[in-house]
This record gives sequence, C-alpha cells and structure tokens, in this order.
Amino acid sequence: MPLKLLLQLSWRNLWRQRRRNGMMILAIIVAVGSLIFTNALIRGYQYDMLEDSVLNLSGHLKLLAPGYNEDPSIMSHLVIPQAFRLAIPDEEIYHWTSRIVVPAVVISERETRGIQLVGIDPKDELKMSFLAEVKILGRMLADERDQGVVVGKQLVEQLDTRLGRRIVLMTQGADGLNREAGFRIVGLFDAPGTSLEKRYIFTGRGTLQSLLDTDAVTELSVRLKAGVALGKVKQSLRLLFADLDILDWKELQPMAGAMFEFSDAIVLIWFVIMASALAFGLVNTLITGVMERVRELGMFRALGMRRGAVLLQVLAESLLIVVMGLLCGLVFGYLLVYVMQEGIDLSQFAQGLEAAGMRSIIVPRLMTQDLILVSVLTIILGFLASLFPAVKAVRINPLDALQK
Amino acid sequence: MDKVVRCKGICRVYADDAYPVQALDNVDFEVATGEFVSLAGPSGSGKSTLLNIIGGLDRPTSGSVYLGDVCLNQLDESELSDLRLYQMGFIFQDYNLIPVLNALENVEFTMQLQGVHPGERTERAMATLASLNLDGLAHRRPAELSGGQQQRVAIARAIVTKPKVLLADEPSANLDSKSTESLLALLRQLNQEQGVTIITATHDPLVMRYAGRRVLLVDGHIDIDDSDSIDNAH
Repeated sequence: MPLKLLLQLSWRNLWRQRRRNGMMILAIIVAVGSLIFTNALIRGYQYDMLEDSVLNLSGHLKLLAPGYNEDPSIMSHLVIPQAFRLAIPDEEIYHWTSRIVVPAVVISERETRGIQLVGIDPKDELKMSFLAEVKILGRMLADERDQGVVVGKQLVEQLDTRLGRRIVLMTQGADGLNREAGFRIVGLFDAPGTSLEKRYIFTGRGTLQSLLDTDAVTELSVRLKAGVALGKVKQSLRLLFADLDILDWKELQPMAGAMFEFSDAIVLIWFVIMASALAFGLVNTLITGVMERVRELGMFRALGMRRGAVLLQVLAESLLIVVMGLLCGLVFGYLLVYVMQEGIDLSQFAQGLEAAGMRSIIVPRLMTQDLILVSVLTIILGFLASLFPAVKAVRINPLDALQK
Repeated sequence: MDKVVRCKGICRVYADDAYPVQALDNVDFEVATGEFVSLAGPSGSGKSTLLNIIGGLDRPTSGSVYLGDVCLNQLDESELSDLRLYQMGFIFQDYNLIPVLNALENVEFTMQLQGVHPGERTERAMATLASLNLDGLAHRRPAELSGGQQQRVAIARAIVTKPKVLLADEPSANLDSKSTESLLALLRQLNQEQGVTIITATHDPLVMRYAGRRVLLVDGHIDIDDSDSIDNAH
C-alpha cells in the first residue's frame, strides 16, 4: 500500500472523529507533559542528592588504603610523594585533594562528643566540598598549617561552647597511641543540613599530620567534570592504583546511592502507571473507531486491499494520534519545566526533607535521556495498544462487513 | 466465445449445527466475455451468494469457480485480494465510497493500491469521470453528492482499472427510478461500447430488462437461464 495513501487516509480519518480523537490527543498531551515535568522533578531531586553526596567530602571517587573504609583510622593510610599528580586527563577531572579523616573525641568545658576530625588543605577544599558554599562565621582556615579549627554551628551548641573558645581533640596517632591537643575555634560553618554540622571538625592537614605524627593521609578524593563517565575513570584509576581501594560515591554513601538508583526506577514506574491508564483510553478509542468502520474496512478488503495493508492503516491512524499527542506533550512538559525553573520551595517541610536527603527547593532538571525515553516508550506503547484493534480490523470478513 | 466465468457444481452450505442452510445447490454457470447477465430471484434464492463466490468474496462448500483459467478455489486470501484488485470491479448496493476521499480520489483508490503512477492515475480517473459526466464533481466528497452521482462514482471506481468482470450487487436498490434508468443506460453503454462483462444480482425488473441474459435462481439452483445469452454477447 502506498505510503501517501496510508497517510492521507489516516490524516483524514483523524479529523473524521475530531472530538473523540481530540480528547485522546489531549489526554496524551497531559500525560506526556506531566510525565516530563514529574521526571524533571525526580531528576532534580536525584542530581541534587548526587551533588550533595559529592560535596559532603565523598567526591565522585575516593582512593583509600585497603581496609580504611571498614575501619577508618590513621593506621590505614596512604603516603603521597611530593609533586604527586593524579594521572587523569584534565578534560575529565575537575579537582582532587588529599585529606586525613580520623575518628576523634571533642571535649569542651561542659560536653564530650564523637566526631570526624578532618585535616584539609583549605585551598583545595574550596573546589571540592560544601565548605566552598556554606556561610562561615569567624574565618575559614588559612592554609594547611592553620592550627585553628572550623566547627559546625550545631556541634558548638551541643558542646555548649562558642567561637574563639578552645576545645580539646583526642584521637589515635600513627603509632597507635592516643594523642590529644587543644585547638581554638576560629570559624563556625552553617551547612544546609544539621548532620554535617554535628559530624565534622576541620583543621589544617599539616597540623593534623603533626598531631598524629605522620606524613601520610587517609584518602585521595576526586571530583570529576560534569558528564564524565564515572565508571571509565574508576576503571583507569584501578589500573593505576591496583593496591588501593577505589570507591565511587554510591559505594561511599550506600543510602544515597540506593536512593539514586531508586529514582531511576521511580521514573519508569511512574511512566508505566501513566502509560497503562493511557493505553486503556487509546485501545478504547481505536476499537470504537474500528467498530464504526467495519463496513468501510470490509469494503477495502473487497476492493483488493490486503490484510497487511488494513493492519498498517489502523496502526498508522493510531500512531498519528500518539505522535501528535507526544509532540504537543513534549512541548507542554518543556513549558511546565520552564515556568517552574526557579524550583518548588518546600522549605516549610525542610526538616523532613533533610531526613530524606532532599533540599528545601527542588529545581526541575530536564534531561535529554528522559525526553528520548518518554518518546520511545510512548510510541512503543501506542504501537502495542493499537495492535489489538488493528488485528480486529484485519479479521473483518469483507462479506460479513458489507452485509452489515 | 471465451468463457470468462465458469462455475461447476457449486454448492454453498451455511453451516449451522442445527439448521444448515443450502444457499446454492450444484449450480453450473458460465459467462462469456462481453455478456451482461442479470441474476434474479427472490430473497434467499442464492443470487448474491453466487455473485460473491464469483467475486472471490466467498468460497463454495464444493464445486469449482474459474475466472478465465484461474481456479479461485486454489487461491489463498492474498491471491484472492490481488485477483479482486486487478481483475474485478465491484459495484455495491450502498455505493461504499470512502467518505474522507473526494470523487477523484475514490476513483484513484484502486489504482493507488495497484501502484499505478500518480500522473497516469489522475489522467485515467479524470477521463473515466468525464465519460460518466462527473468531471465537474471530481473534487466533491461523497456526502456532497446525490445517490445517483455516488453510484456513478462507484462505477467509475469499478471500471477505471479495466477489470475482466464487473460485479454489481443490487446496484439500483437505493436509487429512484430516474437514477436507475440512467445507471442502467450507463451499464449497457459500458457493456456494448467497451465490451465490459457485467454480472448483476437484482430484484429489480428494470435491471433485468436491460441485461442481455437473465438467469433466475430459485432455492439455490438455476431455474431459468435465458437462452439468448450467446446472441447478446459481444
């Protein structure tokens, strides 16, 4: 059957039942548009979570001494030579740094808490972690030899102390013996969530090395440029550092990793729910169309149209409805994302959201892969939904149809 | 004279476990090229069944049907579709034009299925419409045409492919007497001037009068076959 005839009949039949087909197209537009928008919200949440995880000292990848991840202490350490350079191409790597992260006890005049003591180079950290983005009351560490500490606001409240006061930090040294020293609080950081504020105390890397009596560090943290394939970089690092543990952010923060994967599943589950509802409507519309045109389809067969051509005819009409709805739906979805590009402010639920690893403002993130996914799946769905009516049309006996 | 249609010992039983209906009972029937045959008879006599079997729309329970040298019994669904497309023209009682296509496109429809080149297709369709005085209505859709005009468009669609046989089932059923006269004059003209073989199934005495050969079916067998058939053939 010539393509022109197929499209001509399909297009004109579309207008023959304009109200019914119009309603169907409208339903597809709303479904596709809302799918695009909700997917964009889910992606916004998902990638906010990724970014937060990366900035919360994980980086995209970490190189750790074997065993450190299971039992973090200075006993599992890395010795980095002077002038060490990470052999990753510049177009892939955004920045990297080395840190010492050890468990410690902080003691104020009134309280004691368990924390993670982190020795950093502040210059690097401004490109690697949340410290670049948070408000700091007082001052940030000046360099890796700075002997002050920067503490979270919440922790300071828990310790019942304040900026400028001294605290004592106690941890295990490289020789296995306990070390303790007094530090002055030079800065208070105000992070987006309270957990970071309660968990970390920052000091200069060199200062902490002196306290622990070591030249080593406990981790190399790597932040990649946007769009760089994590798996590929991880693989090349494995070849370079076969004796180290190389973990990505999902392995370092399994809960966040699981939520990230689950978000992918949610996108698909949401599509299946919407698409199923849509499929029933589509099948119903097409079946009605076929049943109304039994005589006409029988006449096509009587005049010599082959069964395959009748099948194509019904499929073409269906796919035309689906494609029109899909295209308009994509535009509708894009417009919804555009209108909401500043994000949805959920700050009144901020505490609950933090527990779920979410920011208080969700900014929709439109991803090409989702547009392609929704488009391809919608067309496949349209095809599958129209198979039943199309087969029904094929089974029409021309003689019976003409006698109706 | 060449026989374009040959039916040998045709039986057609509509299966019903309790009450099988014998629509045709051992019918032998032949049509020569260029004949205008009218199958007549009361309702249930089997005239439409015989027409449908000749047209490849139905299959006989037993017996053989030939169109020229081709035995229709041996053709599968696709081959029968091709046979109807390339060798037969159909005129239906209810015209059965495609409502979303205009008169010209309706006439072009079967040629499009045949894959005729667009230029040739339009030229042939317009010429056929003109020969039926429909060229002024070429761009009107069926809903904008009268019953008689729609039937003439249906005839144009049926003859434009130059079929071996033109099959018409109750072609005058939905027409008034004036339109019927006009239709029959047209069919006779096609038969006499272009040599188109026509077989109609009808109740209408007027249609029978225009046909060159009249075959009366009663209870599924041929009761009377006009003996002038050969003389009327062209």
